[in-house]
Amino acid sequence: MDGATQSFCCTGCAAAAQWIRSAELGDYYSLRSAAGARVDVDLPDLTGWDREDLLAEHAFPVAGGLEITLLTDGMRCAACAWLIDRALQREHGVFDAGANAVTGRVRIGWDPSQIRLSQLLQRLAMLGYRPYLAGGAVHERERLQERRRWLLRLGIAGLGAMQTMMLSEALFLDFHHHMAWSTRDFFRWVTFLVCTPVVFYAGWPFLAGCWRELKQRYLGMDTLVASSTLLAYLASMVETLRGGAHVWYDAAAMFVFLLLGARVLEQRARGIASSQVDALARARPSLAVRERADGTRESVPLTSLQVGDVVCVAVGETAPADGALHDAHAVFEEALLTGESRPVDKSAGEPVYAGTICRETPARIGITQVGSGTRLSQLTRLVEQAQAHRPPIARLADRVGSLFVAALLAAAVLIYVGWRWYDPSRAFEVTLSLLVISCPCALSLAVPAALAATHGALARMGVLSLRPDGLEGLAKATDVVFDKTGTLTQVQPTLVDVQTFAGMNPDEAIAIAAALERDSRHPIAAAFAAVAVTHHATGIRLHEGQGLRGRVAEATWYLGHARFAADRPDDGQLWLGDGHQAFARFMLQERLRPEAREAAQALRQLGLRIHVASGDGESAVQRLASRLPVEQAHARQTSEDKLALVRGLQEKGSVVAMVGDGLNDAPVLAGADVSIAMGEGAALAQRAADMVLTAPSLMRIPAAVELARRTQRIIRQNFAWAVGYNLLALPLAITGQVTPALAALGMAVSSLIVTTNALRLMRLKASKVSS
Amino acid sequence: MIILLMLIPLSLMLLALAIGAFVWAVRKGQFDDMETPALDILRDDPVDRRAAKDRDHAG
Repeated sequence: MDGATQSFCCTGCAAAAQWIRSAELGDYYSLRSAAGARVDVDLPDLTGWDREDLLAEHAFPVAGGLEITLLTDGMRCAACAWLIDRALQREHGVFDAGANAVTGRVRIGWDPSQIRLSQLLQRLAMLGYRPYLAGGAVHERERLQERRRWLLRLGIAGLGAMQTMMLSEALFLDFHHHMAWSTRDFFRWVTFLVCTPVVFYAGWPFLAGCWRELKQRYLGMDTLVASSTLLAYLASMVETLRGGAHVWYDAAAMFVFLLLGARVLEQRARGIASSQVDALARARPSLAVRERADGTRESVPLTSLQVGDVVCVAVGETAPADGALHDAHAVFEEALLTGESRPVDKSAGEPVYAGTICRETPARIGITQVGSGTRLSQLTRLVEQAQAHRPPIARLADRVGSLFVAALLAAAVLIYVGWRWYDPSRAFEVTLSLLVISCPCALSLAVPAALAATHGALARMGVLSLRPDGLEGLAKATDVVFDKTGTLTQVQPTLVDVQTFAGMNPDEAIAIAAALERDSRHPIAAAFAAVAVTHHATGIRLHEGQGLRGRVAEATWYLGHARFAADRPDDGQLWLGDGHQAFARFMLQERLRPEAREAAQALRQLGLRIHVASGDGESAVQRLASRLPVEQAHARQTSEDKLALVRGLQEKGSVVAMVGDGLNDAPVLAGADVSIAMGEGAALAQRAADMVLTAPSLMRIPAAVELARRTQRIIRQNFAWAVGYNLLALPLAITGQVTPALAALGMAVSSLIVTTNALRLMRLKASKVSS
Repeated sequence: MIILLMLIPLSLMLLALAIGAFVWAVRKGQFDDMETPALDILRDDPVDRRAAKDRDHAG
């Protein structure tokens, strides 16, 4: 290719590369900034995408055809989006195509009379981008509309605030009041005109939020923001009407703009995070293959499956419902449910659970439970319940905010009454200046500014933060509970020890096993992947659920269970033999993630207690616990046990952070005070978690804890400053000493200090990440 | 200061114009994807490339 030899990991990737060349889209390789995903050799069956009912729900008619928005995984950088865009536009019958690498979404407009959707998706799948259903056409449109609406608000706030500032400048610069009254009032009315849409259109989210909070009888952040904006705006209006000494329109407009900016930034960081998790949620057209009474097969939607139907599950597909196995033998990977990574052998009549993945051979299942009766649905319900019963962490911001608002309102009333008694003519003016100077601008900037900076820093670190209150929980955490498989350890096993018999050389035994396993897609093969293959194996036959047989170096070898390979009682290890005599025994073990130890130590240094809770047996858990500085290790834990463990810790007053990856961890992830899911883990686990690690490096957890704590510290500093400034200004305002210029200056300086302080979070983090 | 009576409405009109342009751009989806379009110009069109080569030979 281009005169250079390229090696491909599989025929799927090679085919994709060939097509890209032949279509003259080779620039993809020079544009991309991240390596592409691996392309599967077996393309998924996409005929389900042409179904009428699916298109009716997910596509909407536009001029010339239909339009649909899809999610895809494997889009890693803008070049992928570019490639998808070009590849689709080459197809006949496509009139519109667009891909967005940030959100992982692909938009296709096509003419159904010229080309079928499945053909287009086949092309995408061939390039390594598997299509998944997004949340429906209506939902997708709303998402885009929402994003645009926020952008509009921000833009209008920015332009309006700028203009308000310009006009106010003219008023400010009139130091000695030379300006004629009529000119001054003209300026004020124009400023009022410009400021109004900023406060009421751009600032609407705050006003609506305030109304919501008031209805729930609680004073929160939005109340603080809305009351300070409205205060500055309404006070200015009153002053304009009665020709008072000063107006504060600029403060109101700038304030809305700054807060909106902080909120849009924070939302963007979280929006990108959650749209990436959406992409991992992998909703597909839910189809199952049902066997009719006469043995023929048909594709049916999941919802039309009934108890008693027989469904066929292909290798690599997931079981659509709970059922009993009809075939004599099958292998299912139940990692999603149990956390156990090794596939489980099943014989006829044994239960098969929805969501488990069929391995090695296709299977037929007689359905016993559908829909909400399945084990999978039970777990999902458990997640929802756990989330609802999460102990609330009192939010610092809301506590300080509500105290402040209450105190301010009380002070205002007292002062008004006091001045009425002392000097009725100045009562209104003094109260107004008190309200303006102690306007909690800085206070309400304190949190959003810090959060916006932190979310950006977290995303750069590779931690996607999905829920707003995750950070606070992480900062307060006292205990960390780790799942074992897939979290502390890697999913693939490694070879730890070889025992040989009958004069076999260990290296020779490994070489023979590697040759046999080389082309097997079994998870165990990963253990031998690093071994250089010196032998050539021929005539490899897979004996389902038992092992492999093949000829290596003029001899027939059996690799698998002890009974299969060496005619001995099964002990769960991997044996190599000639069918009767044993030659070698391989000890396979899950491998600890390389950085697990370091991460655990770092967490300990941060003062956190570390627990391990695993579904595996006692010995495996103890072996792991002995290698890590853990407080307690719990073995044989079901999802419910893990949740009980976390609840127990919470009752003792601990704030628990949970780190897990599997579906079996999802309920406990939802129930813990703060939870982190691994990026390679189950989709439901990620949905239940507060944060998702995009790269499988555990070292990001202590880094994230540190960042969360620093954020908390900065927020507290900001609060201290904002409250301190107000305490200082209050006596001056009460005695009627505050000049308008002083009030404006104080407000601006305190807001500026708070924002700058929050920006430190970004700078410090950047240096840390690069180191 | 009578000139203000003209200048300020003028500035307001410019503001309205700016907001109008911004609203148009957002509605047309100009801000939906900030990364992919930037790559488009980095790639020459294959047809143009051939044409350019011909021109070079001719000149």
